[in-house]
Amino acid sequence: MLGPGDIAPDFELPCASSGRASKLRLSDSRTDYMTLFFYPRDFSFICPTEVSGFNQALKSFADARCAVLGISIDDVDSHLKWAAELGGIDYPLLSDVDGQIARAYGVFDENEKVALRATFVMRKNRAIMHAVACPFNVGRSVADTLRVVQAITTGRMCPAEWKPGVEFGPQEQKF
Amino acid sequence: MAIDPSEKRRLFERLSNVREVVFGMQDGVLTTAGVLCGLSGAVSDRKQVVLAALASTAAGALSMGAGAYLGTHAETEILGAELEQARREATEQPYVIQESLLNQLGKEGLSREAAYRVVTLLSTSPSALINTAEEKVYGLASGLLSNPIADGVVMGVAFMIGALVPLLPYFFIQSGRQGLISALAATALVLFVVGYFEGWLAHRAQRWRAGIRFMAIAMSAAAAGYLIGLAISPLGAVAG
Repeated sequence: MLGPGDIAPDFELPCASSGRASKLRLSDSRTDYMTLFFYPRDFSFICPTEVSGFNQALKSFADARCAVLGISIDDVDSHLKWAAELGGIDYPLLSDVDGQIARAYGVFDENEKVALRATFVMRKNRAIMHAVACPFNVGRSVADTLRVVQAITTGRMCPAEWKPGVEFGPQEQKF
Repeated sequence: MAIDPSEKRRLFERLSNVREVVFGMQDGVLTTAGVLCGLSGAVSDRKQVVLAALASTAAGALSMGAGAYLGTHAETEILGAELEQARREATEQPYVIQESLLNQLGKEGLSREAAYRVVTLLSTSPSALINTAEEKVYGLASGLLSNPIADGVVMGVAFMIGALVPLLPYFFIQSGRQGLISALAATALVLFVVGYFEGWLAHRAQRWRAGIRFMAIAMSAAAAGYLIGLAISPLGAVAG
């Protein structure tokens, strides 16, 4: 699995975005940061809490100058139906049908033939700042992903459990 | 006429004891026929043969009944505990059970979307979700839980009934040789009937073949018993 310090592989994939089928290239992103989260499948019972959760927090991510991208092995048609089922998703759901991108990021489970619940926060130049993966049965915390993004965007020393409004660490320890 | 599904379910529940009946009868017939054949090869006194066969029948019926009781009791306890754990998990972690059921339905041919909709509907009733998950995900079913006492009694009685078949001719026929031939004929007939009955239950087209197959396998065991009796008879002579 790729981690902080690695450069995330670029890709161009079909996607469902705001109810339409389109294509997206990672390196074309215009935001300073990107949160790319892999999830196992559309039409499941854990993934919707994450997919909807990211959608609900989309404005907060945008405020942190961060785009959100979801990716799974489902095709665009499935993504479109799934997004409609969830009441509409306003960020792109990418279609990595053969799992090649998940493999390139080191998060493809060859036994289950789906991606792990892995999240990557990266800069615009695709330098990975944060990477985390969960087992299939455990959903991620969107709030914690947002907290990490907000902490990264400060460029400051952020102590454990830091969140906006909490005091930073010493200025001289700025990295 | 198509059978009513609920009637079919009751039939399946009744058939759950067929295993005990077939196994018990077949074992009773064969064990006793084997004992009779073996003893006839080794002992010439007809009364001794009958007494030994009666003792074998009593011991066999008790042993088989106790074995069936203990086996079913252990199975019921283990299965019951597993079902209880599955229900607890389903209550505590419905997402896990829903995901597992979703994957299982997918493996059984439903599209991802269709499986999702089925599981969503099932999730509106916790008991429907849990009962379906028990069968589909864990391969467990509360219907498999048998009554150990009933299984034990059915097995023991079936064994005794089976054992009576080769024994009865010995009560009426004085000649040991004729008694043995009659016992073997009765045994063969009953084994054929049991095999035919099994074929009928399984809706097989060639029930005669099922009967003959059952009879042939079982009679081979009896023949082996007779040959072993012949083989060990010199040992009895030495001991005597």
